[in-house]
Amino acid sequence: MKLRLNKTVAAVASSALLLMAVPAVGIASSATAATKPTFTIGFEGPMSGGNQALGIAASSGVILAVNNANAKGMLPFTLATTTLDDQCSGTASPAQAQSAVANATLVAVVGPECSGATKAAEPYYSAAHLATLSPSATAAALAKGTNNNFMRDVPGDDVQGAADAKFIVKTKKLTNVEVINDGSFYGAGLATVFQKTAKSLKARLSVVTIPGTAQCADGTGSPSEYASAATQIKAKNPKAVFYGGYYCDFALLLGALHSVGYKGVVMSGDGSNDPALIKSTSPHSAANGVYLSIAGGGSAYLTGTLATQYQALPGAPAAATAPYAAQAYDAANMIIAALQKVVAAHPSDTVMQLRPLLVTELHALTFHGVTGVIKFQANGDLSRSSVVDFSQVVKGKIKTIGHS
Amino acid sequence: MIAFFAAHFDTLRQEFWGLLVDGFANGLIYAMIAIGYTMVYGVLRLINFAHSEIFMAGGFGGYFVIRQIVGNSTPSGFTSVYLVVVGILAGAAVGAVIALLLERVAYRPLRKRNAPKLAYLISAIGASYFMYNLAGKEFGRYNTIIPTIYNNNTVFTIFGAPVLTYYIVILIVGVIMLVSLDRVVAKTRLGRGIRAVALDAETASLMGVNIDRTIAITFLLGGALGGAAGFLFGLGTGVVYTMGFVPALKAFTAAVLGGIGNLRGAVIGGILLGVVESLSFAFVSPAFIDVVAFGILVLVLLFRPTGILGETLGRSA
Repeated sequence: MKLRLNKTVAAVASSALLLMAVPAVGIASSATAATKPTFTIGFEGPMSGGNQALGIAASSGVILAVNNANAKGMLPFTLATTTLDDQCSGTASPAQAQSAVANATLVAVVGPECSGATKAAEPYYSAAHLATLSPSATAAALAKGTNNNFMRDVPGDDVQGAADAKFIVKTKKLTNVEVINDGSFYGAGLATVFQKTAKSLKARLSVVTIPGTAQCADGTGSPSEYASAATQIKAKNPKAVFYGGYYCDFALLLGALHSVGYKGVVMSGDGSNDPALIKSTSPHSAANGVYLSIAGGGSAYLTGTLATQYQALPGAPAAATAPYAAQAYDAANMIIAALQKVVAAHPSDTVMQLRPLLVTELHALTFHGVTGVIKFQANGDLSRSSVVDFSQVVKGKIKTIGHS
Repeated sequence: MIAFFAAHFDTLRQEFWGLLVDGFANGLIYAMIAIGYTMVYGVLRLINFAHSEIFMAGGFGGYFVIRQIVGNSTPSGFTSVYLVVVGILAGAAVGAVIALLLERVAYRPLRKRNAPKLAYLISAIGASYFMYNLAGKEFGRYNTIIPTIYNNNTVFTIFGAPVLTYYIVILIVGVIMLVSLDRVVAKTRLGRGIRAVALDAETASLMGVNIDRTIAITFLLGGALGGAAGFLFGLGTGVVYTMGFVPALKAFTAAVLGGIGNLRGAVIGGILLGVVESLSFAFVSPAFIDVVAFGILVLVLLFRPTGILGETLGRSA
């Protein structure tokens, strides 16, 4: 009896405590939710596939910015991130864009990272008035002025391609150049700008499109085509080869050129400017001597504590100088700064109402990031003029050698 | 227009021999893959669309074994020869095992139930998707370079065109494997069994040929060649889960071009396709290689619907 009574008392007491606790927890939760809504910043880029190194480097920059912003505890909202893996593919990116648009907490996207993927995804982002701030989609044709939800904190390929041509023709004094592109929106665009500038500098050009391979991204070409390309280049023996495309296919070309013993100067743009280029080249030594460029400067922006924090992120590249990591970090921080202003002015607006306001605010904002002052023109391009950094692969490492 | 063609002919003349060597080597790889298609078609009247994944599995098989042995060293001399042989054997073994598994899991149950040919096709496509996605998940979705196991230097030249170590490897391995298979099928008891099943499976069965065993061995032989080809291909370009798609499609084309069901036809078709592709690179445009290659296929089939060495086919097993 005593035992039963004790059990009854214990049960009643427990129930009472539970009843008291449940509303308390509920109130606490709703209070937190009311004061601190969660907003998501998306990242779209290649998180898998042949060019995944580019996506991993940039997404880590976004995560670093969001982690640091949350850690300060000063924001009136909590930030989350989500990755949208487009594999650098114009085929995969529309589905990722639609997924981002449908995400009820997503306020803006850092990316898309690749130009072809951006071209395919932008109609969806534009229709949803969702701001996309790309750290690396450099194709000149993307900034058209009619699509003001697209912005980028790197200069377009009209700047990079021209600088690359001047580097080969004027700095290196090489006027017989084989220009190859991978047929992608990015690669063909960069090569076209290179051609125009090189022609204006009186260079003799031979131009060829070698479609990207299924080995690397969503291309359809066979890797064996690079053996034919190398044979042809060896026979023509141009003084320099310029490649517009991404590192995975460029690595196959470098391996083939090495095999036939081509000794001329070889150069590529930012799509190939990644340590993964060396890892993907067989033999690795075939990448030695190659010149690479990157628009807006590509290294030494994430320094000190930021570099340490970046490298400590799970899965992040070993070096904080990874291409476009700093630009992605700045893009995320700029979105956070703009979001703070928009939320302060419209505290009760829904995410769908905040999205177009964020686009407007990003256009109005002047942001001081680690890569410099970021202010956008109406077409989404940077207002300031930018330099192009040049680097060279030396003993298996990418070393910066100067700028435009 | 005349100047345009003159310029291209001049380019072709200059680079002809180099491109011919490239195309021949690539064609031998196509031929090794095409054998798998043509053998399976011979006995089952089935296009094994999962053969691309046997090729891919062979590439990965060779890669893992070589990576384990080589580590960070850079082999040369006799060690290089040993490693090439080990890689080829590993690729062939993995290819053969995967092909056997495929036959057991994806095709034999259908055969036992007298399923329509369309069911085989869907089963093949399903198996292909399953295998390459599994490989992507397990091994990563990026191109992985096979460690360097020899110095890919110019061994000799043909009219100025460099013949690389890689091409010598392909030539030796390709010729040994293709000739061996041809002899096995033409001269041995096992080969007679395969030919008998290809000609008339029912009668072959009544004559004492074990149909199940013969079909399994057919898959095994085709798989071994496909797996070895995967490793050879990977030596030049690296291995990745999607690596089988384009070469296997080309090899299937080669098998049809040569006359599907005919072993020597597959070899001729493969080499022809490889050379045509390579020459098209300079003569037409790299962006139109496939247009030229498939255009020639259509032309050949218009005049010889059964392919170059096409034969009248028997009944399937």
